[in-house]
Amino acid sequence: MLAGNPLRDPRDRRLPRVPGPCALVVFGVTGDLARKKLIPAVYDLANRGLLPPGFVLLGFARRDWGDGDFEQIAREAAKKGARTGWRDEVWQRLAEATKFLPGSFDDDDAFDKLAQMLKDLDESHGTGGHAAFYLSIPPAAFPTVLKQMERTGMADNEQTNSWRRVVVEKPFGHDLASAIELNRLVDEVFTADDVFRIDHYLGKETVQNLLALRFANELFEPIWNSHHIDSVQITMAEDVGIGSRAGFYEGTGAARDVLQNHLLQLLALTAMDEPVRFDAHELRNEKIKVLNSLRLPKDLASYAVRGQYDQGWLAGERVKGYLGEENVAAGSKTETFAAVRIDVETRRWAGVPFYLRTGKRLPRRVTEIGIVFKKAPHLPFAQTDTEELGANQLVVRVQPDEGVTLRFGSKVPGTTMEVRDVAMDFLYGEAFTENSPEAYERLLLDVLLGDASLFPRNEEVEASWRIVDPIEQLWAEQNEQSGGPELYRAGEWGPKGADEMLARDGRSWRRP
Amino acid sequence: MTALWDTTGTEVVKALSIERRAAGSVSSGLALTLVAVVDEKLVAEAEQAATAAAAQHPCRLLIVVRRRPDAPEPRLDAEVSVGGRLGPGEAVVMRMYGRLSLHAESVVLPLLAPDAPVVTWWFGEPPHLVAHDPLGVIADRRITDCARADDPLASLGRRGDDYAPGDTDLAWTRTTLWRSLCASAYDSLSGEPRSVTVSGEATNPSRALLAGWLKRRLGVTVAIEDTAGPGVTGVELVVGDDTVRITRGDGLTATLSRTGQPDRAMPLPRRELGDLLAEELRRLDADETYAESLEVVTGLSGLSDRAPKREHIWQDPMDTQDLDPALTTS
Repeated sequence: MLAGNPLRDPRDRRLPRVPGPCALVVFGVTGDLARKKLIPAVYDLANRGLLPPGFVLLGFARRDWGDGDFEQIAREAAKKGARTGWRDEVWQRLAEATKFLPGSFDDDDAFDKLAQMLKDLDESHGTGGHAAFYLSIPPAAFPTVLKQMERTGMADNEQTNSWRRVVVEKPFGHDLASAIELNRLVDEVFTADDVFRIDHYLGKETVQNLLALRFANELFEPIWNSHHIDSVQITMAEDVGIGSRAGFYEGTGAARDVLQNHLLQLLALTAMDEPVRFDAHELRNEKIKVLNSLRLPKDLASYAVRGQYDQGWLAGERVKGYLGEENVAAGSKTETFAAVRIDVETRRWAGVPFYLRTGKRLPRRVTEIGIVFKKAPHLPFAQTDTEELGANQLVVRVQPDEGVTLRFGSKVPGTTMEVRDVAMDFLYGEAFTENSPEAYERLLLDVLLGDASLFPRNEEVEASWRIVDPIEQLWAEQNEQSGGPELYRAGEWGPKGADEMLARDGRSWRRP
Repeated sequence: MTALWDTTGTEVVKALSIERRAAGSVSSGLALTLVAVVDEKLVAEAEQAATAAAAQHPCRLLIVVRRRPDAPEPRLDAEVSVGGRLGPGEAVVMRMYGRLSLHAESVVLPLLAPDAPVVTWWFGEPPHLVAHDPLGVIADRRITDCARADDPLASLGRRGDDYAPGDTDLAWTRTTLWRSLCASAYDSLSGEPRSVTVSGEATNPSRALLAGWLKRRLGVTVAIEDTAGPGVTGVELVVGDDTVRITRGDGLTATLSRTGQPDRAMPLPRRELGDLLAEELRRLDADETYAESLEVVTGLSGLSDRAPKREHIWQDPMDTQDLDPALTTS
């Protein structure tokens, strides 16, 4: 966007942020993610009028398809996954700007064609040569694709006289060394500012609302520290098993899959100081400060608990154990549940443990951040009056039932003084979030606009691996010495070890 | 749902509170109260639009239908529902007869959500003076729709005379997509703006506001061209050596043409009422950009410096011939 556009006025907040002309090139466009999330998100953006006139969707995959075949499949995917209503005329416009290029990743010819095509699209569709490459491909294919881009010069902003950006999905490596290697590789081909690492949690409305809650209000920030907060619990629970993802999940496990990215990002947003300005640079600076100040407990073996789901009953149905899932190796020691304690070594958070847990086949799908406050230093009531009074809590529910709950003590009606916990609820509400954009819509739009606020920087990824690596190391050692993860029954809130871990600190998990 | 016949405001307040308890959610983050002043014939359409808008902005919806101010006996009928057919929020539809319709605020005031902003929306012929309608006086934001007036351009002129910060008009909301396209097109242009042409139906108030906005922002004279519509049909921007033309003849799809570049088509549908209303509820402060565009259209100045609060002006149907249309629905 030109700074001097007289039609853009900061006071005029009706005008949506619409990116300039560009092409979105999706590698691995036949994959699950592309069909379920990306293509519907592109349609929804178009339907909301947020795509520029010169927009082209270009699919790249090893299929013997023409533009028409791809358009057909994309239409079905969009129709099925779209959040907004279906309008044929919208798709018709999009279909005219949908291209497909068949080819495998080691096919020099195909990439030469792609490079040429991006130039031609400027002529035919007026994309200005700008392009964002979305790598929806297995990490193993990254080096090949990136080398191809380097060879053809299609990643180079100067050579192509336009902007070229790349979008990378998690996993960002499988440990610190591989993450550094991956970052080096990507940053060599693209400039660091043009690399967008997608953590779709950060695109969720409620996560952004956490920043509004903290920094737009007078009420919460003054007590957002170790004087008033006892501990923080961040939970991301799923009721599903691994489904057909054994190939990916085996050898990855819950810690690498969820803890390293989503949970640590939620922790960073909860614990960070106020950014100087609300822009990408400052926001990421504050997050990186938190991530760099994280410390694992000395007695890590007691504070890094893992589990694996066994068969059981969940939501009225009998479900298989992890070892019984398709394509899982017999005796697999992959964890499907992880809980850790992490301390943030800053003045604000000294002595406030952050408990993080994630797992599959837990009773319900829920993601939340629970802030548990200290008890009041003095209670002028008789002890019997406040027996039922727990600690005050502020809970940010990320999904589902997006909203905020505040729990505090209140007098029970009647002639005696009796205080009991009650909850005050703010609900974005199912009905109201129906219309709030899907995380991928927001993130894709940000990529095309070049706004990196909601994307973790490479230092953040590396700092996160610095936390997860020692845990993985410990577990690998345990695997050799004693045994694998503790079993928990599907449909329970994780293994006993997780409860014992908090009991050791005189606390207990919230039931989300 | 509770239906109350020949009732009182107090009964309505009680019924709402009972419905809320029954629904189980005692307060679910109400952002505002939306008061819709609607003609009986348009109730269904207004309900649909307000329900769509409420899905994006949690609000308490109060629909006021004024019927026969000359009826001998005042009477109030009301329908109260929470999470029912009128969307997820709380909704009250009230029909007021006789002199009560001139004192609608007496029923509405106790129903406003505590300390939340009040938005009043006239769905039908806009009031000549907002101050004539007490429901406009109590509102923090007032939404009219010139396009629904018999003479839309005269009505737009009246909006300028009557303007107070916090007023807005759906004719202005309808320009948003056009303005957004113009701004995007302008992003890739460089050089001094030389001339601008806006075309559309001669009586279309959105065309006037769009032209006003372009003139104000670009500082060039804006030529106006009459076409058969529907609505606004085109904008031409000449900037430096480039000409950008956005045309929409069918009310559905726009074509963007620019010197030396291929034409590009994109959807630019005329938006639905609920969508327009939702955009209006998105922000509740004064819209300076609208005020500036309205200044250009009406030749007035200093609209934003006017006082945002109005004093109610009493109009008695007994001794005025010219009762404000907002007070005389069906």
